[in-house]
Amino acid sequence: MKFIINKDTLLTPLQQIVSVIEKRQTMPILSNVLMVVEENQLILTGTDLEIQLLARIGIDNVVPGSVTVPARKFLDLCRLLPNGAEIKIEQQDDKIKILSSRSRFLLSCLPAENYPEFSESGFDNSFSINAGQFKKALDKTIFCMANQDVRYYLNGLLLNISNSKIKLVASDGHRLSIYEDQLEVPTGVEARIIIPRKGVLELSRLLDDAEVELKVEFSGNNIRITIKNLIFSAKLVDSKYPDFGKVFQQEFFSPLHIPKSLLKDALTRVAVLSNEKFRGVTLDFIPDSLRISTHNPEHDEAEEEIAIDFTGEPLSISFNAQYLLDAVSNIDADLAVLTIASNISSCFVDEPDNLLYKFIVMPMKL
Amino acid sequence: MTATRKIIHIDMDAFFAAVEQRDFPEYRNKPIIVGGMPDSRGVVATCSYEARRYGIHSAMSSARAYRLCPQAIFVKPRFQAYQEVSLIIRKIFAEYTELIEPLSMDEAYLDVTGATDYQGSASLIAKAIKADIKKKTQLIASAGVSYNKFLAKIASDLDKPDGFYLITPEQGANFVERLPVCKFHGIGKVTASKMQALGIHTGSDLKKLSMETLQEYFGASGLHYYTICRGVDNRPVNSHRAIKSIGVETTFQQDITIRQDILQQLQGLLENALKKASAKQLNARTLTVKIKYHDFVQITRSRTLPCNLVGATNTLDILENLLINTDIGERAVRLLGITLSTFENQAVSYRFQQMDLFQDGNNSGVSFDLDFLKDN
Repeated sequence: MKFIINKDTLLTPLQQIVSVIEKRQTMPILSNVLMVVEENQLILTGTDLEIQLLARIGIDNVVPGSVTVPARKFLDLCRLLPNGAEIKIEQQDDKIKILSSRSRFLLSCLPAENYPEFSESGFDNSFSINAGQFKKALDKTIFCMANQDVRYYLNGLLLNISNSKIKLVASDGHRLSIYEDQLEVPTGVEARIIIPRKGVLELSRLLDDAEVELKVEFSGNNIRITIKNLIFSAKLVDSKYPDFGKVFQQEFFSPLHIPKSLLKDALTRVAVLSNEKFRGVTLDFIPDSLRISTHNPEHDEAEEEIAIDFTGEPLSISFNAQYLLDAVSNIDADLAVLTIASNISSCFVDEPDNLLYKFIVMPMKL
Repeated sequence: MTATRKIIHIDMDAFFAAVEQRDFPEYRNKPIIVGGMPDSRGVVATCSYEARRYGIHSAMSSARAYRLCPQAIFVKPRFQAYQEVSLIIRKIFAEYTELIEPLSMDEAYLDVTGATDYQGSASLIAKAIKADIKKKTQLIASAGVSYNKFLAKIASDLDKPDGFYLITPEQGANFVERLPVCKFHGIGKVTASKMQALGIHTGSDLKKLSMETLQEYFGASGLHYYTICRGVDNRPVNSHRAIKSIGVETTFQQDITIRQDILQQLQGLLENALKKASAKQLNARTLTVKIKYHDFVQITRSRTLPCNLVGATNTLDILENLLINTDIGERAVRLLGITLSTFENQAVSYRFQQMDLFQDGNNSGVSFDLDFLKDN
């Protein structure tokens, strides 16, 4: 194996792949990146066995071959070489030689034959979507995904395709976000799949070019998304997503319109004096005013008042300040609309005239 | 710490054995061993002073104790009885001070710096406590009096049984200098032999080393050694010591190897531990499994869950997950233990109740999968 590549060509895909690789590994070879050199391309692969990322980089004048290289060391060396540097890589028995200008490195490798194969079954569904559209959908939802919840199906993102409709849902039980949009081309697909949390976070990082058309393929067990020269694969969460339909079938108070930046700033300040662990803050709606208050075990107290258009019966509801802030911060409009269930059991946060996304924040009993 | 403190350490003599001898006159003046039976795999919990003459000590296997003294009387522990005594002595302590830090059923530190009885004389208070204990329980306690916990504890051990020993602030530093490191509370066998290898035999040897050197050799404990070998120990008597862990364990009559049996045992232990936690109104998030194989090699496996263990529905999955990367099923096991930790007060978590979207309906009381528990 032998090839020459420019640092600037290699670095970005290499960084994306190393990000997938877990720092602590039970199998040493999983800390390595698989490097396959073919006639006119270099193929880099990284995996944690749950997700895999593969990058194809066009190169020529090569001696084909394959080997696995310690990912982080290889990345650090490449990263620290000067920009634009030509890097010459050559396999020597169980090592690779990395040469660039006056730098010379010898890295111990493991044989490519031992690299685990990422098993993917036949993909029976596929559709395409614009990267910018998908990225926006992810941005509006993934902050609600659970992290290490025992309800493991919440540690992921629900992708629901219904012909030309796409819906993404994420929830940790305490809040939920829904993003619904139309696809340009009808898919003829009806499916609900759960993409695991880590996969979603990695995927989101790969979508920086909004113009790219993504090809999404999936089966009952796997998903594969082709992003230009990158192929992202993930095992799906093997479960049904819980039913959240009931939350919509409730009586609600009239929607409350609140200037977003005022609400956000007030919440941020009040939260400083909330209970460090539970972060509870109380919202009191009284005629023409919203009062946000909290206190903590140290007997500190905070109160903020925002003038709003409110005429109904006084209404009080408490939240984890962070959950409400996350939702409000993700509103694009200047006005946030809070719609509270009449039994104070949940609160919808969205914006006027918006049909794309909606957040639900569950209150706290204080 | 400006004013000199007055600390008493009270320790009951041969506690379990003494209670047995009190309640069963036929045991008096005889070698009594409380703990496992000699034909079992149990160990000695406590033995009477008569038994100690044969070289028997606590934590020794009962079988070995039997070989050392075949005429010894082995009795099973009656924790109920010991608990009753424990409550009585704690009441006695409370008559003299509010600053009580119980270490176990039969042992406690008292801070009597602010006590008014006996013109505030710690020695007289200690003697009075010993007398009260004897009067109310017919049992003997030893007392150590000094100006910090470290020295008080050492003092209580110096004159046992029925001991009383005072280490004054003037004597303190000198006293520790002459003390062999293996007598230091908190320096166990392993650390002691490590110190021996470094040529550290007494407090004065320890004192010659700089704080940096001690920290280099012994990590975080190094700092503690640095202060105690100078007779200094500023740890307060902590009467609100939070419970850090709750554990249960069992040694089997015969080694068990079958995975299913082991899981069943662990489930039983976990249930007991959770009951104990619930009785104290605590929610636990960390579960530790302790396994001692037939050859006494011991391992532990531990996980901290994002949610509370109390009320969790499929603890079996959690346990199975913890047994990954163990030799369970292959290697015979003599002891299993379960420890709960990372506690949260049930009352507090109830007061701030975050409502959950999926709490009622099909997904409540969730039977959860624990893929995330696997290593990596």
